[in-house]
Amino acid sequence: MNTRQLALIKKDIRSITSNKQVLMVMLMVPLALTIVLPSVLVLVTVMAPDSASDFQKMLSMVSFLSEEPDQQQMILWLMLNKIMPAFFLLIPIMASSVMAASSFVGEKEKHTLETLLYSPLSLKQLFQSKILAGFSVGMMVSYISFAAMILVLEMEMLFLNGSMIMPDIGWLLIMLLIAPAVSLVAIAVTVRGSAKAQTIEEAQQRAVFLIFPILALVIGQFSGVILVNSGLLLGLGVVLAVLAVLLMRGAARSFTYEKLLK
Amino acid sequence: MRAVSAENLSKIYIGGNKAVNDISFCLEKGEIFGFLGPNGAGKTTTIKLLCGMLIPSGGICRVFDIDPVSNPEKLHQISGVITEHAQMYDHLSGMDNLIFYGTLFGMNRVDCEKRAKALLERLDLTEAQHHKLSAYSTGMRQRLSLARALMHSPEILFLDEPTSGLDPESAQNVNTLIQELAADGTTIFLCTHQLRYAQEICTTYGLMNRGNLFAAGTIEKLRSMVSDKVKVRVKASRIPEDMEHQKTGESVYDIDVASEREVPLIVKRIVEAGGDIYQVSAKQMSLEEIYFSLIDRNHAEMEGGNL
Repeated sequence: MNTRQLALIKKDIRSITSNKQVLMVMLMVPLALTIVLPSVLVLVTVMAPDSASDFQKMLSMVSFLSEEPDQQQMILWLMLNKIMPAFFLLIPIMASSVMAASSFVGEKEKHTLETLLYSPLSLKQLFQSKILAGFSVGMMVSYISFAAMILVLEMEMLFLNGSMIMPDIGWLLIMLLIAPAVSLVAIAVTVRGSAKAQTIEEAQQRAVFLIFPILALVIGQFSGVILVNSGLLLGLGVVLAVLAVLLMRGAARSFTYEKLLK
Repeated sequence: MRAVSAENLSKIYIGGNKAVNDISFCLEKGEIFGFLGPNGAGKTTTIKLLCGMLIPSGGICRVFDIDPVSNPEKLHQISGVITEHAQMYDHLSGMDNLIFYGTLFGMNRVDCEKRAKALLERLDLTEAQHHKLSAYSTGMRQRLSLARALMHSPEILFLDEPTSGLDPESAQNVNTLIQELAADGTTIFLCTHQLRYAQEICTTYGLMNRGNLFAAGTIEKLRSMVSDKVKVRVKASRIPEDMEHQKTGESVYDIDVASEREVPLIVKRIVEAGGDIYQVSAKQMSLEEIYFSLIDRNHAEMEGGNL
C-alpha cells in the first residue's frame, strides 16, 4: 500500500459520503436491521402477555437449559444470538456491494475511470485500492451498526425487562470472520460483473444473489432445520473466506485496460 | 531517442472493425504533431494504442523507448492524456481534483498545491478553483483537463480535441500554452478537427482516413503532394492578355506561379502592359485546403480500389 493507493481509497470513501442517495441506502438498511427490527422484537416480547404463547412449554423441552429460564429473557437471548446474526450479515453484503459498484462502475458511468487508467498506478494497484475502499466502508458500517444495535438493545432490555443480555461468542466469529469474508465475497461478485456492467444498478444486482443463502439461514433458523451455533458460524466463515480469495483472484486476472474501457 | 515510433501498427476490434490499419510514423522530441482526420478515422484508437490502453492487433509502438503494452505504468508516469472520456470528479473542486491526480502521480501535497495554483492561474481558472466541478462550464472543464494532464510535468502530451468547447480567446490561450510547452521540450501529439489552429501550432502532421495514415510530414511536404504552385492574387486595372489567369472579382485576378520568386516578374509585366496595380498577395494553400484536397483524393482512391 503506497500513498497513491491511499489517496484513491480516501477519494472513493469521500465520493460515497458526498453522494446523499447512496449514503441514504447505506444508512437505511443497517438502521432497519439493527435498530428498528430488534426494537420491535424486544417490544413485542416484553409487551405480549406470557399466557398468550406456548413458548414456556417449548423452552422446557430444550435440553441444554440447566436452569428454569425466564421466558422473556430466553426469547430476548434467542433473538440476539440466534435470529439477529443472520439478518446482520445483510449489512456487510449491502454496504460493500454498494461501495464496490459505485467505485468501479460508478467511475465508468461518470467517465472518470479512463482518467484513472492513465495514471501510473498498475491495474493490480487500482484493483487493490478499490477493493480496500469497499471493504473498509463495508466493515465500518458493519461495526458501527453492531455497536448501535447492542447499545440500543441493551438499553431497551434494561428499561423494559430490568436486565441485560450479553451477545455470545458467535458474534465474535461474525464480526471478525464472517462479516469480513462475506464483505469480500460481495465485493468480488460485484467487481467481476463490473467490467461488463454499464450502470451501478446493474453491477449491484449481481450481489443480490448473495442474499439467498442468508435468507435460507433465516428460514432454516425459524423452521428449526438449522441452528445458528459457533460451529456452524466458524464453518460458514472458513467457506466464505476461501470463496472470497478464489473470487478475488479470478476477478483480478480478468481485468485489462481494454475490457475496462468497453 | 525518438519520442514516438509506430511500425505497421494495426488495431482490429472484436467484430472485425479495422480501426487502425498498418500505420507507421515517427515523432521527435519537442515536436507538435497534428493528427488530423474525420470522425472514425482511427485517431483516438491510435492514442489509446500509444498509451497502452489497447493491445495492437499487429505492429509495434514505442513512446520514449517504452513499450506501452508491457510497461504502461512507466509510460503513464511521463505522459499526460486528454480524451473526451477522461473526465474528473464532479463532487470535488477544481483544486481538489488537481491535488488528487497529482498525488496519483507521486507528488506530495505541497508540490501539488503549488503546481495546481500555477496551472489554474495560467488557464484562467483561479476564480473557480474552489468551486465544485459540477458548476464548471464545458470550456472550464476542458481547461481543467489540460491542467490535470500537466500536473506532473509530462514529457509527452496526448491531446484529443483539447480546444473543443472553448471560446476563441481560451482556445488561443491553450494553443499558446501548447507552443510554450513544445518550446520547453514537451512532445505534443494533437488530434484536432480545428485545422486553422492546427496550422498555427503544429510542426508536423499526419492525415488519417478510415484507419489509414495516407499523408504525413511538414506542411510544405503535404503542400507538395497537392500542388507546388503558389496562387498570386492581383488587383489591377488590367493585365496582359497572354498572362494565364482566373478572374475572381472586379479587377481581381488569380495567377498560379511556380514559386514566390516569380511575383516581381508578374508585377513588372502588368506595369509594362500599362496596368495600374492596387494590391498583390501571394497565397499558399492553407492546411484546410491541403486537408480537403488530400482527403478527397484518398476517398477517391479508396473507392476506386473497392471497385
